[in-house]
Amino acid sequence: MTLKPCTISELQALLTRSRGVDAVSLDAVADLIEHVPGDMTATVQAGMRLADFQARLAKVGQWLPVDPPEPETVTIGSLLADNLSGPRRFGCGTIRDWLIGLAVVLPDGTLIRNGGRVVKNVAGFDLCRLFVGARDTLGIIVEATFKLLPLPEADACLAKPCDSLGQAEELLEKIWTSELQPSVLDLHRIDGGPLTLVIGFAGPSADVEAQSEVATGLRFAGGASLDYDARFRRTTPHFPSVAPADLASTLRTLGDESFVARAGNGVIYHPSAEPPKLPSPELQKRVKEMFDPEGVISG
Amino acid sequence: MKSKADKKDLTRRLAEIVGDDAVLTDEQELVVYECDAYTLQKNLPTAVVLPKSAREVAAIVRLCADLDLPIIPRGAGTSLSGAVLAVDGGVMIALTRMNRVLNVDPRNRRALVEAGCVNAWITRDAEKHGLFYAPDPSSQPACTIGGNIATNSGGPHTLKNGVTTNHVLGYEMVLPDGTVEWLGVEPNGGEEVGGYDLRGAGIGSEGMFGVVTRALVRLSKTPPAFKTFLGVFASVEQASRAVSDIIAAGIVPAALEMMDQLITQALEEAYRFGFPLDAGAVLIVELDGLANGVEQQARQVDEICRQNKASEVRLARDDAERAALWKCRKRAFGAIGRLSPNYVTQDGVVPRGKLPEIMRFIRTVSERHDLRIPNVFHAGDGNIHPLILYDERDPAQVKRALQAGDDILGKCIELGGSVTGEHGIGAEKIDFMSRQFTRDDLEAMQQLRRVFDPEKRCNPHKMFPGAKRCAEFTQKKQVAA
Ligand SMILES: Cc1cc2nc3c(=O)[nH]c(=O)nc-3n(C[C@H](O)[C@H](O)[C@H](O)COP(=O)(O)OP(=O)(O)OC[C@H]3O[C@@H](n4cnc5c(N)ncnc54)[C@H](O)[C@@H]3O)c2cc1C
Repeated sequence: MTLKPCTISELQALLTRSRGVDAVSLDAVADLIEHVPGDMTATVQAGMRLADFQARLAKVGQWLPVDPPEPETVTIGSLLADNLSGPRRFGCGTIRDWLIGLAVVLPDGTLIRNGGRVVKNVAGFDLCRLFVGARDTLGIIVEATFKLLPLPEADACLAKPCDSLGQAEELLEKIWTSELQPSVLDLHRIDGGPLTLVIGFAGPSADVEAQSEVATGLRFAGGASLDYDARFRRTTPHFPSVAPADLASTLRTLGDESFVARAGNGVIYHPSAEPPKLPSPELQKRVKEMFDPEGVISG
Repeated sequence: MKSKADKKDLTRRLAEIVGDDAVLTDEQELVVYECDAYTLQKNLPTAVVLPKSAREVAAIVRLCADLDLPIIPRGAGTSLSGAVLAVDGGVMIALTRMNRVLNVDPRNRRALVEAGCVNAWITRDAEKHGLFYAPDPSSQPACTIGGNIATNSGGPHTLKNGVTTNHVLGYEMVLPDGTVEWLGVEPNGGEEVGGYDLRGAGIGSEGMFGVVTRALVRLSKTPPAFKTFLGVFASVEQASRAVSDIIAAGIVPAALEMMDQLITQALEEAYRFGFPLDAGAVLIVELDGLANGVEQQARQVDEICRQNKASEVRLARDDAERAALWKCRKRAFGAIGRLSPNYVTQDGVVPRGKLPEIMRFIRTVSERHDLRIPNVFHAGDGNIHPLILYDERDPAQVKRALQAGDDILGKCIELGGSVTGEHGIGAEKIDFMSRQFTRDDLEAMQQLRRVFDPEKRCNPHKMFPGAKRCAEFTQKKQVAA
């Protein structure tokens, strides 16, 4: 069953009468509540599309440092519930790192808040982290407050086709131990194309230029695009994740299909990969039972 | 609490697990553990145990579960909110003998450490690989990683680097029923972890979810370039405007710290760094990153400070001077001992833009209650640390000091902030929880607690309204730092 409330209070009312809800569309709950540029924080409702949110922030030169595929369709709610990220994950971390406050409607219809609107806050337990990636199974996120960053003055991407995984590995090692501070470090092979290493830099122009020059010295070519990520990942929901040092050896076991890997993070998007295993199953079960004892929300 | 005979039995059974030398039950020995760095409330635990392994911790916890005794995890006891107080006795499990850095893995930029490992030791061991552990509470030469996880500690450099939850990948925890779980990223594992983020849920839980025994932390690359400025201003308002302008220019400094006149004077007297004595406010701005960008931003920061009428902008000449400056800043609380026999440290947060307003308010509170209140704070985060000075020998002053703290934290909530940015609720700030959160908000937190500790036996009587209090309110000299 999909719920389509027009307001938060309607969602509260609907949940108290429902069982087996498997999706909630918050298209109607999509306002920017507050953006305080001087505090570098913003509060937004869950139905707003990420691209719209970013466009509003960009007006004063700020952004939410996260870049999942298809920001035009991704909502703030799904960004959080599915813990989405993109190539800049290496430099920016994940959305968990930028979330400072949440409003959630719990399965019994209660509206709760956790965290707040200030960037540093340890009052009470941290439910914010818990709800990120919970796929809305513990409650429906209706509003979120984020820390923001200034848009980088410059941003550049470079790519280099590699002859072999061994060569890519060697280059990665070189980059890893150099002074370079990439914001993107990806390795991909898509649709029979070459194995390609992608490196990106963001920050003050002087730094981006100097680092791009070093990368050019390693035979990277400038003007690369990150479009491959969205094109490829639309079809690849599952992915394993390994310690970054184990990336190449893991790729060797995975066969010849197309893949995209966050080389700096050890995250591999590969069609034949297994999803990560579920740790602490007993505790996981207890969390769900505690927040949704009646099974209002499926999953 | 248990009777004497029970206590003998308890001592024996604990000693069977950890050995005689690791169990303390004599009152003289227990006094050390009657409070943490928040000294307004005190109580003795029934016993203190000093385990050497996670296995021992699990055995102690199981024993306490059988005997229905509270357990209280303890690190270095530097908490400033009474988070380690044994409100109703119980077995305090001190992790100080489990303090090793087990492994530094430069290739994966991680370190595996025991929970009692001192924060600063991680960077000490990682430094040679060009890496460091980012969260840097001022107490870092003493506080433990287990305590940092429990309080989600921050520090002067959290403006750019984030707090503990952004840098702890995973940890091992003994739950109150004695089961052992690894939460989050496993040693040698990948950073994507399936299911709910139990790791994140447990960080900042103030020792109420279980005993952390090992932690896997993220190491960051040491930036190649630093520039550290000291800006001298006539008033806190002027310095605050400089802070706003720096942020508005799109610069995120590694640290943005402010000290008012009372603090700089005390620091100068204590450490002779060379702070100006007549300045209304001193701003520390640290930039880090790659050399070119830092150079470019340094020019901007210098310009902004001067535009805001800084009477002086001093650049730390070298690493030694930079280190000296930070040492001074991080020992600011300690220098206060020279100003007053006693003080309480508050830890409010306001939106950055409201800093001038809260500072004005603190001044009126200071006048109203006739108490001196120096300020040293993380200006970039809006995290204030007013230090309310009082003399415990004067009961009227003690009362006014408590009231002044109450006024200031109340104002932080009113301005859209929080009553704690890093020190936690503990036993100290329980009453504020229902002012900052609704009953439903608090109930949701209790639900999470029941997932980990259905019997509420782990560090009980903390955080939530209605909790039991220590009968006596002792006023003793603050020993913090
Ligand atoms: C001079 C001074 C400066 C300070 N500066 C800062 C600062 O800049 N930033 C900041 O954030 N804090 C600061 N603090 C506060 C304090 O140092 C931190 O809260 C620190 O994280 C506490 O660590 P600890 O090892 O001393 O823990 P303790 O004080 O022993 O315990 C604190 C809490 O953690 C729990 N705990 C401890 N170990 C474990 C474990 N292994 N498993 C589960 N729970 C555990 C305890 O039950 C308690 O709830 C400062 C304190 C002092 C005295």
